[in-house]
Amino acid sequence: MDDKLIKISFSLNGKSLTKNVSPSLFLIDFIRDELKLKGTKPGCREGECGACTVLVNGVAINSCLFLAINIHGKELITIEGLSSIEKPLHPIQEKMLEHGAVQCGFCSTGIVLTTKAFDDECRSDGKIPSRQEVKKSLEGHLCRCTGYTKIVDAAEDYLTHSSF
Amino acid sequence: MDKKLKIIGKSTSKLDGNDRVSGRSVYGHDIELPNMLYAKILRSKYTCAKIKYIDCSKALALEGVEYILTAKNLDVNMIGYKRDHPILKGETVNCQRDEIAAVAATSREIAAKAVSLIKVEYEEIKGIYDPFEALKTEARKINLNGQGEEKFGNKNIAESFEYSHGELKSMKKLSKVIVSRRYQFPRVTHCCMGTSNITADYSIIDGKLTLYSSTQVPFLYQRDMAHALKMEPSKIRIIQPIIGGGFGSKLDMLPFEPICALLSIKTGKPVQLLYSREEEFIASPTRQAMVIDLTSGVDEKGKFTFREVQITMDNGAYTSWGATTPFVMMQAYSSLYQIAACKFQADAVYTNNPNAGSFRGYGNPQATFSIERNIDLMAEELGLGKDEIRLLNANFPGEITGQGLLFKTCGAKPALLKVIEESNYKMKNREKQSGRYRRGVGLASMLHVGGGAKIYRSDGCGTRLKLDHYGFLTIITGSSEIGQGSETVLAMIACEELGIPLTHIKVINSDTDVKPWDVGVHASRTSFVAGNSLLGAISIIKQKLNSKAAQLMGCKNSDFVYENGFIKACEKEVKIDKVVREMHFGNPNKLCVAEYFFEPTSSFQDKDFKGDVSGNYAFASQVAEVEVDTYTGKVNVINMYVSQDVGRVLNPMGLQGQIEGGLATGLGYALTEEMIYEDGYLTNPSFHEYKLLTAMDMPEVHFYPIETMDEAGPYGSKGAGEAPLIPTAAAIANAVSNALGVEFLSVPLTPEKVLKALSEKNNHKTANSQIL
Amino acid sequence: MNFEIESPLNKEELLKTLSNLQSKKFRFGAGFTDLLIEFKKFNPVETTVINLAQLKDEEFCSIRNDSGEIQIGSLVKLAQICKDTYIKDNFPVLHQAANALASGQIREVATVGGNICQASPSGDLSCALVSLKANCEILNIDGKIRNQAISEFFKGPGKTSLQKNEILKSISIPINHSKNLKSGYIKIGKRSAMECSIVSLAYHFQLEKNGKVKHAGIAIGAVGPTIIFCQETVDFLLKQNINNIDEVLKLKIASMIQNASSPIDDARASAWYRHQVLYNVAKSLFE
Repeated sequence: MDDKLIKISFSLNGKSLTKNVSPSLFLIDFIRDELKLKGTKPGCREGECGACTVLVNGVAINSCLFLAINIHGKELITIEGLSSIEKPLHPIQEKMLEHGAVQCGFCSTGIVLTTKAFDDECRSDGKIPSRQEVKKSLEGHLCRCTGYTKIVDAAEDYLTHSSF
Repeated sequence: MDKKLKIIGKSTSKLDGNDRVSGRSVYGHDIELPNMLYAKILRSKYTCAKIKYIDCSKALALEGVEYILTAKNLDVNMIGYKRDHPILKGETVNCQRDEIAAVAATSREIAAKAVSLIKVEYEEIKGIYDPFEALKTEARKINLNGQGEEKFGNKNIAESFEYSHGELKSMKKLSKVIVSRRYQFPRVTHCCMGTSNITADYSIIDGKLTLYSSTQVPFLYQRDMAHALKMEPSKIRIIQPIIGGGFGSKLDMLPFEPICALLSIKTGKPVQLLYSREEEFIASPTRQAMVIDLTSGVDEKGKFTFREVQITMDNGAYTSWGATTPFVMMQAYSSLYQIAACKFQADAVYTNNPNAGSFRGYGNPQATFSIERNIDLMAEELGLGKDEIRLLNANFPGEITGQGLLFKTCGAKPALLKVIEESNYKMKNREKQSGRYRRGVGLASMLHVGGGAKIYRSDGCGTRLKLDHYGFLTIITGSSEIGQGSETVLAMIACEELGIPLTHIKVINSDTDVKPWDVGVHASRTSFVAGNSLLGAISIIKQKLNSKAAQLMGCKNSDFVYENGFIKACEKEVKIDKVVREMHFGNPNKLCVAEYFFEPTSSFQDKDFKGDVSGNYAFASQVAEVEVDTYTGKVNVINMYVSQDVGRVLNPMGLQGQIEGGLATGLGYALTEEMIYEDGYLTNPSFHEYKLLTAMDMPEVHFYPIETMDEAGPYGSKGAGEAPLIPTAAAIANAVSNALGVEFLSVPLTPEKVLKALSEKNNHKTANSQIL
Repeated sequence: MNFEIESPLNKEELLKTLSNLQSKKFRFGAGFTDLLIEFKKFNPVETTVINLAQLKDEEFCSIRNDSGEIQIGSLVKLAQICKDTYIKDNFPVLHQAANALASGQIREVATVGGNICQASPSGDLSCALVSLKANCEILNIDGKIRNQAISEFFKGPGKTSLQKNEILKSISIPINHSKNLKSGYIKIGKRSAMECSIVSLAYHFQLEKNGKVKHAGIAIGAVGPTIIFCQETVDFLLKQNINNIDEVLKLKIASMIQNASSPIDDARASAWYRHQVLYNVAKSLFE
């Protein structure tokens, strides 16, 4: 490719990183093909299913409709960023397992990140969301296995009972 | 089942759930092999045409293009259930998804560019998109490899089924009310969140082909692939990576799979082919589209007398497993409720639409919709309660149906009673509705195989067990995990029987070089067949362990109890790993392994389709409670009451997940999902235009399992995976009819369709309506 | 897919970039949620994208409340609109429209300007803004501002009055003259989320204490080539008291709104359905 590469500096799961990327590179491809983080899933590449959701500056976005160059100066968190040696699973992930919200799992990682972003938002607003609001927060995620009920149960349980 | 169970019946989290939720699971999309190439397929521009020439020269000249495959010089066999489907099309194209060429290149971008540079000249032919047109004598023969003329007396019939039992004529005479309706069902699709994918890795050194493939039927797939490529089956190794959803879509081998294998064979390099979402809509399987003409009767007392049904299925251009859905549908017509006489005829007809496939439910949602709508209409005309008429005719334990299905256990009536009571059906059904928002309730039941289905020479499953000298158990099962939770159920069974904690159990199920035979994941069979197979293997390994443990504890002929990693007998105990060590290293040395092959007692049906095809049968009833906005026609499903005879609940949480997930698919089928074709072209190939439902559209689900403890199943259980979506569309249509007093003869019940029906009803009432 | 990119960091750089590109093919990208989908369908050829995502100027990026109007920068994200409590309290129609658009992930990146400049007849935000009689503030390469009523800004499906040397800088909405409001957004689709409107109706009425309509705006979407401001209905309503709208008046108003529409058949719905539903939901305004 004869694109001029553009230098971007950003934080990836808490660590600073500088990379040269093509201006037309999509964030999802940057994450999966260049950073080799495969937990970000390609479900539709048209902003409909939410499987590729990542956090940019703490908010959940579809990485399939985002240019890699626009994470310059920002914080990018992928699903891999939620695990650490000390705490391999985030409490949201534990809730998802506890409630049986995971079947094929293709949609799960995106849902975890959206729920995390929504939790942060609720905390900063000091509010506990209603079940309807929890459902609304997940409107951008499609799932064919679970019928959503257990996903909403898990998210609601976490969002309304967590004190982490 | 008198012994007290420790883990069976208790909610257990999915064994590999933590990998899936943390992004560690490797799906087919995540595989990267050294030196790997990327493939892309060029599909037809027309839905029906002659190919005049294919020119790949410009594409071949592109840097990074390694190989371009076309039908030319290709020595392969045709694929598909009827072997009527060329892998690549060289002379004619018959549908939108037809594969004309495939490129392997060093990057996805180059592969895509190369495909755009391939020049194809076509001579367009007027296609046939309506099966009834295709059946006319003057119609052109659509699939030139079809054998309809010889076998079924019409060149465009791909497959045909006939079935009957009872005295149709006399039962018609006995009928007080006879209802005839024509129902129409569109194509819908699986919408697996992970698109179709395959990575092929052919070794030019030893001629072995490794396929990372998300098939649901690895051993049939191995056979089909070998036949297609003219290879020895055992030289093909199928590795099943984690699957991003199956639902029946991965039963047929599709052309993209041998195409990718061939690209790897031709280049000697690994090749990966991933579908885009649009491609997934255009070129992955669909539920069978069909027209059902159903006439059914009831006598003056409310006993069903007969069903006469004629089904015309849109087979598409090629024949898939989908053409065999009548096999399941005839069970519903012949045996759902007591039916004295039944006549069934179904034809799968070639058209220039895309070939269909198999989909969770396998024809049964369509059959059940027609049966249950007709029942409501008969009850209304007869003046009998819609619940009463169903209870009066419900299947019962010990029943041998006209088709020869034997219901050793049967929860049909308890399931009906449960949902009728819990939903307050009687009262709600009679409430007169007015105003903008109108509520209604609808009832529907279903019958489905619950103990596998003998559709292949063996419906069996093999298991190998390996207990190591640290007390860890490896279960090598022929069955496959596609997200439904079968791995977890198998581990629970082993934990129950051997007292080994779940953390010490590994399930190996994804490699045909390792695992024993199994026919595949379908027909709600996995927990039933693989569970029974595992129990057989456990009983063998226990005999070995018992004998060594007896020797170590110095007691004979005792009852051996397996608990918390110990084997206990005669008030003594010994650690299970110690027993294994003594077996492995003691004298004489013995390996602590066992293997078992389970074949259900079900029988292959005779040529008239009579016989007890499954190890047991699942029954379910659902009540839908809906609220219809008469201003917009939008149907809001508020509550779904579901009762299902599952034999016995093995993992309540896993079961509930299957119920809720199935319901959601049934809900989409009822309300929004539809593949809209214009002259064979799909006009809505995206989630957005296809209208897959979201969390915001889901009702409250109330689930009541019925436990009939069927002795054929593991711990009394029955298959459960497909049942929840089968009666859903029927229940919802019945509920909307109840709310509005209008009839629906097709799905989905889109807002526009509902408003139109309502407006026609109002127009009928008042000639001078404001509407229009 | 390949394109060149220019990422101006402030207004000056933006104007410079814009003038440099006058003789070339370029597209604005702000949230990119529509542009990238379009590029996938129609591969861009020799196109430069003016990437607005890194522009930081207040007048483009913030919601301000001064001099008798609310100013919303064109790069304000839909999520900002949703979370803005002043808008939620004073312009429920705008809050609801923004909140009904696509998904949370899209709303976090999609911008007000992007949504407006798509000029979709079914645009949710646009419909609300037309009902609010918003004004577009358009900047040209010389730094000059041109003002235009939003209903004039739309010229047809996908067409606006924007010239090649212009960019939509912000929009402004007159503040309410009354606290007594009846305001909301009705969106009709097949699903309960992730929808593109089949019919939409935006309304914003400011009432006197006794219920007399003081100011009114009604806009309808997806029932014509552009979003339609229902002038006739608004004129009629201005003479009414909201508490006195009886069955006959209600149906009259619904008919007036319906008559303002000119829907067509498309893949999502038939003209018949749109026409009928518009009438029905218009009725529901006064129920």
